[in-house]
Amino acid sequence: MSAISQGAFDGGSGHSCNSGNPHCTHHRHAICFIIPPIMLRNIAEKGDEEQRTLAFHTLAASERFRGQREVLSALGIVKSLGSPGEKLRTIYDAKRGTTLPGRLVRSEGKKATKDQAVNEAYDGSGATYDFYSEVYERNSIDDRGFRLDSTVHYDRDYDNAFWNGTQMVYGDGDGQIFQRFTRSIDVIAHELTHGVTEFEAGLEYQDQPGALNESFSDVFGSLVKQWVRKETAEQANWIIGEGLFTSRVKGIGIRSMKAPGTAYDDPLLGQDPQPAHMKDYYGGAEDNGGVHINSGIPNRAFYLAATAIGGYAWEKAGKIWYIALRDRLRSTAQFVDAAKVTMAVAGDLFGLKSKEMKAVRGAWQKVGVIK
Amino acid sequence: MRASLERTGGFAGMRLTSTADTDKLAPEEAKELRQLVEAADFFRLPPTIASQANQPDRFQYKLTVEDDQRTHTVMVGEAAIPPRVRPLAEWLTQYARRR
Ligand SMILES: [Zn+2]
Repeated sequence: MSAISQGAFDGGSGHSCNSGNPHCTHHRHAICFIIPPIMLRNIAEKGDEEQRTLAFHTLAASERFRGQREVLSALGIVKSLGSPGEKLRTIYDAKRGTTLPGRLVRSEGKKATKDQAVNEAYDGSGATYDFYSEVYERNSIDDRGFRLDSTVHYDRDYDNAFWNGTQMVYGDGDGQIFQRFTRSIDVIAHELTHGVTEFEAGLEYQDQPGALNESFSDVFGSLVKQWVRKETAEQANWIIGEGLFTSRVKGIGIRSMKAPGTAYDDPLLGQDPQPAHMKDYYGGAEDNGGVHINSGIPNRAFYLAATAIGGYAWEKAGKIWYIALRDRLRSTAQFVDAAKVTMAVAGDLFGLKSKEMKAVRGAWQKVGVIK
Repeated sequence: MRASLERTGGFAGMRLTSTADTDKLAPEEAKELRQLVEAADFFRLPPTIASQANQPDRFQYKLTVEDDQRTHTVMVGEAAIPPRVRPLAEWLTQYARRR
């Protein structure tokens, strides 16, 4: 074990910070922590959920720059890793507890179970894998076949879904307001995209970089749904989390990319708080500085760009956003940086005077991010 | 004694709040709430329990307890919530849904 660990950390110096890593200028990022291999092994074996995640982030980042992916599985943090070009899904059942990942209930290639949540998590993560692979030639979350683990039936009455750094987790909802979170394929693709963002731009989960992080998850969440349904930008409804509310709630879904702030208006829940324009930007501290609130602004910018370009949104607008996320955005990017970068990518791909470039510029202007 | 919860964040980004007052609760419930506050050793918790990693879409909690002499507020992310505090947060979450 120690030989493997040392191999990944400069002969045992234990410093996982690579000078070639652009994230290293930001001390908050896990990669810049100095953790001796022996400690990482202990964390992997005995740490609590958050410590294991941190250890994973450190190892994943190290692995990313040095190509020593076997370290992850050797430490038992990721149980197995896929081979290039392979889709590897594993679904677990937390049985209404909070221990992750829970009991294995379906692995790749196994037939459907009687549990709808299990099958939805399996099919939804499969469609998301296929989308990234076929549309953008990306092999899973890390572009190197990262295994797609999902846990369903997490906790009791749990009104949420999340990405914990290594896997997707879904609650069943409380039955009063929310139904189970696997019902919407865009929720599944949203969570998986958090993994992609973590491996690429590494957008900080706070304030504007956090709202961009959220927005990229909604953008590709919605695109996976559109791709599965073969809908054009005009045909799509651009709703995130459609079908999650029970029939008692007055609302079509959680967010609207087309018209942020209009997804629900309910006596108990209140009104959808998302702004559609910079003039209504939320400046408070809640929700990590409003990451799920202010994402309405870049979400609408994407919708406007995609509909101005026309056709299937994943082909051009989606490609511009994907390359921006993969190659161009920094972890501290603000909305204005996202505007500049997507315009630059549109210019590179389609020409500075192209319809696509004008559509992207017009979109960011309409939401008040640039003049 | 009054105990309140504000839950923000999560995939849906919705705000959930509740305030339970032992003067207005049924006696058994009031007793239960006092026990949960005591079990959490609430007044000795730090005002902010930092998360090492900001996990996407997780809930953020702000818990406040007021009794005769003192008021204390604790901010904590879902992934970092100490096991002894979790039952109090769960109780107040259930209480919020009931109204
Ligand atoms: Zn999210």
